[in-house]
Amino acid sequence: MAEPRAGFWQRLQQIPRYYVYLLMAAVVIWQILFPIPLPIAPSSATQGVYDAISAVPDDKLILISTDWDASTNAETGPQTEAIVHACLQNDKRFAIMNLHPPMGVKLANDIAEQVAEQYGAEYGVDWCNWGYKYGFANVLIAMAKNIPKTIGDDFYGTPVAELSMMQGVEDIESIGLVIEITGLATITETWIGLIQGVYGTPFASAYTAVMAPGYYPFLDSGQMQGMLVGAKGAAEMEALVTRPAKASVIMNVQSWAHVLIILLIVIGNLGFVLARGPRGQGAP
Amino acid sequence: MWDSIQSVFQPTTSPPQLYRNLAVALIGSFVLLALLHRFLGPRGRRWLIAFVTFVGGLYLGLEYFLPVRTAVLWPTAIPNPNPDRGANLLTPGIEPVGIMMSVIGAFTVGLGIYSLCQVHGRSLGQRRPGWHNSLAFFLAMVAMLVFGFWAHYLPKVDEASAVMPVPRAIYEMLFSGLFMPLQAATFSLLAFYIASAAYRAFRIRTAEAGLMMAAAFIVMIGQVPVGAWVTSGLPTTGALAFFRLEALGEWIMTWLNAPAQRGIVFGVAIGGLAMSLRIWLSLERGTFFSEQG
Repeated sequence: MAEPRAGFWQRLQQIPRYYVYLLMAAVVIWQILFPIPLPIAPSSATQGVYDAISAVPDDKLILISTDWDASTNAETGPQTEAIVHACLQNDKRFAIMNLHPPMGVKLANDIAEQVAEQYGAEYGVDWCNWGYKYGFANVLIAMAKNIPKTIGDDFYGTPVAELSMMQGVEDIESIGLVIEITGLATITETWIGLIQGVYGTPFASAYTAVMAPGYYPFLDSGQMQGMLVGAKGAAEMEALVTRPAKASVIMNVQSWAHVLIILLIVIGNLGFVLARGPRGQGAP
Repeated sequence: MWDSIQSVFQPTTSPPQLYRNLAVALIGSFVLLALLHRFLGPRGRRWLIAFVTFVGGLYLGLEYFLPVRTAVLWPTAIPNPNPDRGANLLTPGIEPVGIMMSVIGAFTVGLGIYSLCQVHGRSLGQRRPGWHNSLAFFLAMVAMLVFGFWAHYLPKVDEASAVMPVPRAIYEMLFSGLFMPLQAATFSLLAFYIASAAYRAFRIRTAEAGLMMAAAFIVMIGQVPVGAWVTSGLPTTGALAFFRLEALGEWIMTWLNAPAQRGIVFGVAIGGLAMSLRIWLSLERGTFFSEQG
C-alpha cells in the first residue's frame, strides 16, 4: 500500500508544465472576462506621489521622465496615465522627456495626448513633450544649468523656447518635481545624484514591481517623496484620481495569479513533505 | 577669446552654415584620426586615450566639487552666464562638453548598426543556420528606417481634417501594431515561466527556506488587493491593524527589505567608486587595451 501513496505524492511534485501554463492562462482570462471587484487602498508611498504633485507651486513645471518601453507597458503605461491624470486634475503643467529607451517617448506621448483631450488641456500650454534626449547623465548635468538650450527641439521638432508654457523656464529651479517612470535600474541613482541631491529638486518615482524593493531606502531617507510600485501603485493612483482604468483590471488578474502561484508552491511542498514520509524516507 | 570658444558650440539656424560646419567637422575628424593612426604607435595611442580619459574625468569632477561664487574661481574677465545661481570657473564649459559627449555617444549608434549589418550580412550571404532570422532583421530595420523617416519628414497637416498619410499609417502599423505587441508578449511570458519555476524549484528543505517562503507569501498576497480583502475583518487602526496583510507586507518591505537594500547600495557605491577611479586613471587596462597587446 505504501508504494502507490508515495507515487501519488511524487506525482504531485511533477505536474507537467503545460498544465501549469494552462491554469495560469485560465486565471488570467477568467479575471479579464469576469473580474471580481476588490478593494484598492492607496499606500503611503502612492499617497506621497500624489501629495508631491499637489504641492508643486503653480509657477513651476512637473517633469515626467518616461524611461520605459513596450516590455513593461502593462505596469508603466497605467502608471504614466494615472500620473498625467493627477497633474491635470491639480492644474499642474507638465513636460514629458525620455532618456532611455527611446520608444518610451512615443508611448508616453500617446497616453498624454489621450488624457489631455479628456481635460481639454492644450499642447504647449498645459503640457509638452521634450522628446528623447541622448546622453543620459550629460543631459541632466547640462539641463540643470540651461533647459531650453539643452533640450532644443520638442517631440514635434518645435524649439521648446517657442512654447508658451516654457516662457520663463530657465534651469532646474523652474522644475517643481521630477517623476521618474521606469523599468530600468540606475536611472534613479543618476537623477538623485545629479539633480535631487545637488539642487534639492523634489523627486518621486514609479517602478515595475520587480525593481521597486531596491528603492525603498531612498523613500525611507526622504530623497524620494513617493513611489508607485508596479501595477499596484498605478491602481492606487487611479483610485486617488477616481479614474479606475487598466491598472485596476490588472490588479484583479494579478491578485488571483498570485493566489494560483502560492497554491502551486503549497501543492509542490505538500508532495515533497509527504513523499518523504514521517522520517524523511523517499525524499528526492 | 572665451566668447569665440563658446560660439563654436552654439547651434546654427542657417542650413548652408550647418552643412558647411558638418562637412568641416567630419573631414577634420577623419583627417585627425587618420594622422593619429598613421603616426601614433600602440604605446602612443594608449597614452593619448589615458590622457583624454584623465582630463575628461578631472574636468567633470572639478566642476562638480569646486565651490561657487568666489573671486579666485570666477575671474572678472570671464562673463558669468548665471550670476545668481551656482557657478564656478568651469561651469560654462559643461554645456559644450555635454553636447560633445552626446555627439561622440551618437556615433556608437552608427557603430552598432554597422556591426549588426556585418554579422547578419555574413550570416545571410553564407546561408548559415538561422539565416532567415538575419533576413527578418534586415527587412525589419529597413522598413522601420524608411517609413520612420518618411513619416517624420512629411509636411505637417491639420490633424483634425486630414486622413492619416500612408507612410505614417504604415509606420504606426509597424510600431504600434507589430513591434509593441511583440515586445509586450515576449515579456508577459514571464508570468507563465515564473509560475512553473516557483512550483518546481521552491521547496522547504531548511528552516531558512521556510522563513523566506513565509515572507514571500505575505508580500505576494499583501501587495495585491486580495490580501486586503482576506484580512478586511481586522480593524484599520490599533494593534490588530498591524496584522492586516497589506500592513504586514509593507512592514516587511520597509523594515526588513529596506535596511538590507541600503547595505547593498552602500557596497555597490563603494565598489563603483573604486571602479571609477581605476577607469579614470586608466588602471583598468583590460577594458581598453587588451586587444592591442
